[in-house]
Amino acid sequence: MDVSFTVNKGEVFGFLGPNGAGKSTTIRHIMGFMKPDHGNVSVKGLDTWTQQGTVQRYIGYLPGEIAFIEGMTGKAFLEFLASMQKVDSSDKRSHLIERLQFDVNTPIRKMSKGMKQKVGIVAAFMHDPELIILDEPTSGLDPLMQQTFIELVLEEKAKGTTFLMSSHSFPEIERTCDRAAIIKDGKVMTVKNIHELQSMQRKLVEIVFENTQDAETFVKSGAVPIDSQDGRRVTVAVQGNYNELIRETAKYPIRSLDITAQNLEDVFMHYYDRKEPVR
Amino acid sequence: MNAPLFKQMLKINLKGISNYAFGSAFYILLMFWLYPGIAQNTGSLNELMLALPEGIVNAFGIQAGFGSMEAFISGEYYGLILPLLLSIFSIMLSTGLMARLVDQGSMAYLLSTPTSRRHIAATQASVLIAGLLLIIVVTTAAGFIGYAMFIGDRYEFNGSRFLLLNVIALMLFFAIGGISFFVSALSSDEKKALGISGVITFGMFGLDMLGKISESVQWLRFVSLFSLYRPSEIVRGGGDAVLALVILFLIGLAGFIAGVIAFSKRDLPL
Repeated sequence: MDVSFTVNKGEVFGFLGPNGAGKSTTIRHIMGFMKPDHGNVSVKGLDTWTQQGTVQRYIGYLPGEIAFIEGMTGKAFLEFLASMQKVDSSDKRSHLIERLQFDVNTPIRKMSKGMKQKVGIVAAFMHDPELIILDEPTSGLDPLMQQTFIELVLEEKAKGTTFLMSSHSFPEIERTCDRAAIIKDGKVMTVKNIHELQSMQRKLVEIVFENTQDAETFVKSGAVPIDSQDGRRVTVAVQGNYNELIRETAKYPIRSLDITAQNLEDVFMHYYDRKEPVR
Repeated sequence: MNAPLFKQMLKINLKGISNYAFGSAFYILLMFWLYPGIAQNTGSLNELMLALPEGIVNAFGIQAGFGSMEAFISGEYYGLILPLLLSIFSIMLSTGLMARLVDQGSMAYLLSTPTSRRHIAATQASVLIAGLLLIIVVTTAAGFIGYAMFIGDRYEFNGSRFLLLNVIALMLFFAIGGISFFVSALSSDEKKALGISGVITFGMFGLDMLGKISESVQWLRFVSLFSLYRPSEIVRGGGDAVLALVILFLIGLAGFIAGVIAFSKRDLPL
């Protein structure tokens, strides 16, 4: 693993990459769970390995694999954690619980994946830390709750909180992050601001033409890169060139149009293949 | 030490600890209740003991005979059942307090709070020690209550030797707890920690037992901590109790300290 990047104060930093790329391992180092073979991680100038126990004062953490202490209810766990965080967070806690809408009195062993995720989010946010580290924060949440989560992040960001979050979901990164790092095989491929990433993202647009003839003409014109064609149904790969697509498509009567954003691994696959790692 | 963590861990484990404590107390009371009936037949029981092979008598720790209350209890309870009970307790709780939290991942939450690893490990160690202390205190109290209730002045009972017996038992399990804690602090796998501590503890217990049964392999006892704990000698006033106490205490202390240091230096798969 060779990973170097800096997260600025007050920014939301995304951490993207396929499974096994080293996202969680990097986060483990930031949390001081592992000793780096070489190099160091520092938060607010404090080394996270040698100053473990002190750095944590500024950090809120949501693990990728959530495990709470057995034999407690969500409420008891959050109260216990608050007492260890040494911050009186009861107001913020009840506010967050209300926002995320879950029954905090449920015993932990009876909780669903989504519910554990909500308890975890409350635990990471409740003590108003300066830096919040989130490992795949929306896994297990339904779309409505994902929305609520994004709002929460944006509200905290407005207050000046710094975020580092790893994710598989591009829309989530797109809506919250200022910058993002792409990591693969333990190496940072690139660090880009989110607008650059958006223009890099490949989307597949499936267009169904009224007439098969039009579809043929559209494909032959070559104005936009064609992914595949099946009768009147044409799939176009767009990567930043939205204007050309709209101009070209507008010339024909269209029956239906469907956009599928590719998942992150596909999105950046061709980026990975093309580029050497940045140093 | 971290007070909220200590409180929480004690709360979670209190049910288990009290089960052991009350089980132990109940057994002691039962023994005291039975004793008057047995004491009437001391003579024939002692004769029966003479008829048994010496190895067996030693192994079960009943060589103190049935002449006094503490001799009876040292054989019937402190010789075999209490060590087994506390061995299981020490292994289970030490594993549950460290290796299990790392294995299932909840240790990540403890370490995400502003508490150093040393403090967390030291707190977990003190929960184990508090558990052992509670069981022994309840057991000792049950002994004195049983004496007051069932024995009165009818039979001999040397309270200070009974107390010493309990203190040495506590120190033996302070030492065994220390070793198990060290194993647990180094393990990321709950089952592995349980297995290793179990093999070490019951291995020593078995070696001590074998050494007692046969004189030819008596040396086996000296690789075992259990050889420092000889209930039948203690109640007869023999053996060097102070030396045993000091050695057991130092071994336990070394185990706990080594566990705390090892835990604060190692990579955790969280």
